[in-house]
Amino acid sequence: MKRMKAVAVMLSSIVLICSVVAGCSSGNSSNSMNKKTAGALGESIAGSGESSGPVKLDIIETGNNLPTPDKDFIKQAIDKAIQSDLNLTVYASGDDYKNQLNVRLASGNFPDLFQVSDRAALKQLVEQGLVLDLTPYTDKLQPVKDFIGDESLKKTTIDGKVYAVPKAPSIPYNTYWIRKDWLEKLGLQPPSTIDEFLKVVKAFAEQDPDGNGKKDTLGLTGSKLSTFAPIFGAFGVGDPNTFYIKDGKLTNSLYDPAMKDALGFIKKLVDTGAVDPEIMANTGLQHQEKAIKGQAGIIWVDWPNLSKDQFTEQIKKVNPNANWIQLAPPLGPGGQHDGPYDLGGTTGIYAIPKALENNKDKLQKVFDLLNYVSGKEGSMLVQFGINGTHYNLEGDKVTPTELMGKEAGFTWLYQFTGRPEMTYLQTKFAPQSKYIQFANSQPRIQILNGFLTNPEGYNPADTIRFIEEEFVKFIYGKSPLTKYDSFLKTLESSMNFKTYMDASTKQLEELGYGK
Amino acid sequence: MVKSTNDRIANAVVFIILLVCGLVAVFPLLYVLSVSLTPFSEVLKNGGFILVPRSITFDAYHKLLMESNIPRAFGVTVLVTVIGTILNMVITALMAYPLSRKQLPGRNLFLMMVVFTLLFSGGIIPTYLVVKSIGLLDSIWAMILPNLVWSFNVLIMKSFYESLPEELFESARIDGAKEFRILLQIVAPLSVPVTLTIGLFYMVGHWNEFFQAIMYVTDRTLFPLQVVVREILIQTQQPLENADNMTPSETLQMASVILASLPIIMVYPFLQKHFTKGMLLGSVKG
Repeated sequence: MKRMKAVAVMLSSIVLICSVVAGCSSGNSSNSMNKKTAGALGESIAGSGESSGPVKLDIIETGNNLPTPDKDFIKQAIDKAIQSDLNLTVYASGDDYKNQLNVRLASGNFPDLFQVSDRAALKQLVEQGLVLDLTPYTDKLQPVKDFIGDESLKKTTIDGKVYAVPKAPSIPYNTYWIRKDWLEKLGLQPPSTIDEFLKVVKAFAEQDPDGNGKKDTLGLTGSKLSTFAPIFGAFGVGDPNTFYIKDGKLTNSLYDPAMKDALGFIKKLVDTGAVDPEIMANTGLQHQEKAIKGQAGIIWVDWPNLSKDQFTEQIKKVNPNANWIQLAPPLGPGGQHDGPYDLGGTTGIYAIPKALENNKDKLQKVFDLLNYVSGKEGSMLVQFGINGTHYNLEGDKVTPTELMGKEAGFTWLYQFTGRPEMTYLQTKFAPQSKYIQFANSQPRIQILNGFLTNPEGYNPADTIRFIEEEFVKFIYGKSPLTKYDSFLKTLESSMNFKTYMDASTKQLEELGYGK
Repeated sequence: MVKSTNDRIANAVVFIILLVCGLVAVFPLLYVLSVSLTPFSEVLKNGGFILVPRSITFDAYHKLLMESNIPRAFGVTVLVTVIGTILNMVITALMAYPLSRKQLPGRNLFLMMVVFTLLFSGGIIPTYLVVKSIGLLDSIWAMILPNLVWSFNVLIMKSFYESLPEELFESARIDGAKEFRILLQIVAPLSVPVTLTIGLFYMVGHWNEFFQAIMYVTDRTLFPLQVVVREILIQTQQPLENADNMTPSETLQMASVILASLPIIMVYPFLQKHFTKGMLLGSVKG
């Protein structure tokens, strides 16, 4: 009797659990079932060549500040133009994005268009057979090709096949910025050579340029080793582990004889104690915050982060006298070069999953989308918003309205093929125009790293960390520069660097560099 | 009772230690609150480290509530938390009660199955496949159902039920009550502390939900609060790749933190008093 009762209890509880779970999910699952059948129906209709409803396109990328679909006027405009139903999802954190992409690729729930973080990641996806080879479709993507330029496609070509669409080439943003008011206060000129640069950095830290009676200022700040990019440039070398053509020969900066001299000079800079001791610890925008707060006199940063209205306003509030100006790269024995510019670099790569091969309509719609945002009408839309609302067109000139600043801050999320960088920035950031031009017109070492794919058995993350650590030791005097050659040997023996060098040289020579 | 000097010293030491611990816990909260209320220019001028704001502004809150996705996300989170917690509690109780009855056939087997899930899990991709195949993607159920029961909470509840005197059940049975009636009318009223404690666990869990939302939901209108807040917080940690980005000020970030955590902090004190009774597992209860 007792037994029976217990069984009854058990059974009834199981039944109850099941019914509750089922009850909760049934409404939704039937709903999504309906959606699925509807979708399949739509596809089959489209397949038979009759008119179809809007094709749903699932797109994922990193980004932020995307409004909800009802307020997303770009989505609405594109949907209307190409008969689609875009579902763009953006992830604020790169890790979240990677998780989402991996899970979706692994489970066969492919997005129809997705961002790939870099060439190395693209290569991996290609090896796994997950991305579509676009080579046979290049005719269908003619507007995209015209927009980004034939050269650009080299960036996503692996073993002779185009596997993704890179964004149109960008322009460099970074320069040194210096406090002109501090220079004037100390009776100094903007430094034009590296020796003057050294002097100014030192003076900023020691002579109390902010006049508060305390020795609380820094000469130079920045984030990581790139803080010294123009110094490397002054010696004619690129940033650590970059490839470029020097005297007609393909060179890696680590093997450039001038690298040692550059390191020696940077050590001299650091030895003054005037360089932010936290440069290696500065993450994100911490160096920029220091500059805005008036703690540093020179900073290596991009123009948006110091000259956009949002930041000039902040600077003015903290210190109305602060006057940041851009500084041309100081002259050194190797000439005058601002931070390097990567010829193979791109601000975004977008790939289409291989699975879409079998869904011609959807594939065509993705092409339509890419072509549309590369064409005149679509490109204007994703650059500036809606004509008459967010900008006014007079002839060829775009005049932003007030609404553009208020509402159209997210449109770049739809620039899947990039934008004509220079005109875009000049229009959208008219007050910053001279800074943009300045940054763009500085001489730079043209590096080629963007074209490289890592060979088997080479771990880029470990290597980069090792190089960084060793460089920090040299710069801070923890190990003498005489050990530089033994550092190279360790690199080759323990990090597989030789393989990487050989593979990279071969790849670049195949592209026609250094021959 | 007369206290000896030693006792007093001991008391004083304990008091001071607790005071320091308390301050350490409260300080960051105060800091966040203070920054969120201070005009951003003040924050910049004074290095961002102010405990009592010199001047107060509600701009950041106004901006977040009027111009961002936060109000909608707030709604989603409240919905998920309320529905989720109720379902969690019902299912957990329905699972814990039979497991606490010694006469349940195969009890050890079921217990093993519960404990097994504590130690092993399928991992992200299999879970995603399950969620996908039952059609939960892009719905608020994706944030509720995958974590409907936390095995550990079942064990806590089970051990609480076991601590109830057996005579209670016997007398109820003699009076003719069946198991459901016993659970509802005898056990449930007696287990308020454990129910509230575990309810709070579930509630905080749902309130802080972001991982499942990020994995299973691509529809922006269904994003819960933490995802939106995280988006606001994370932006300043990456250097700007795109000139168009608006970087939210520190004031705005801190205000979003306050908005996201305040409701749950307000609920907490009302449930906290039940904790000691509700949380004990495998030890003697008073």
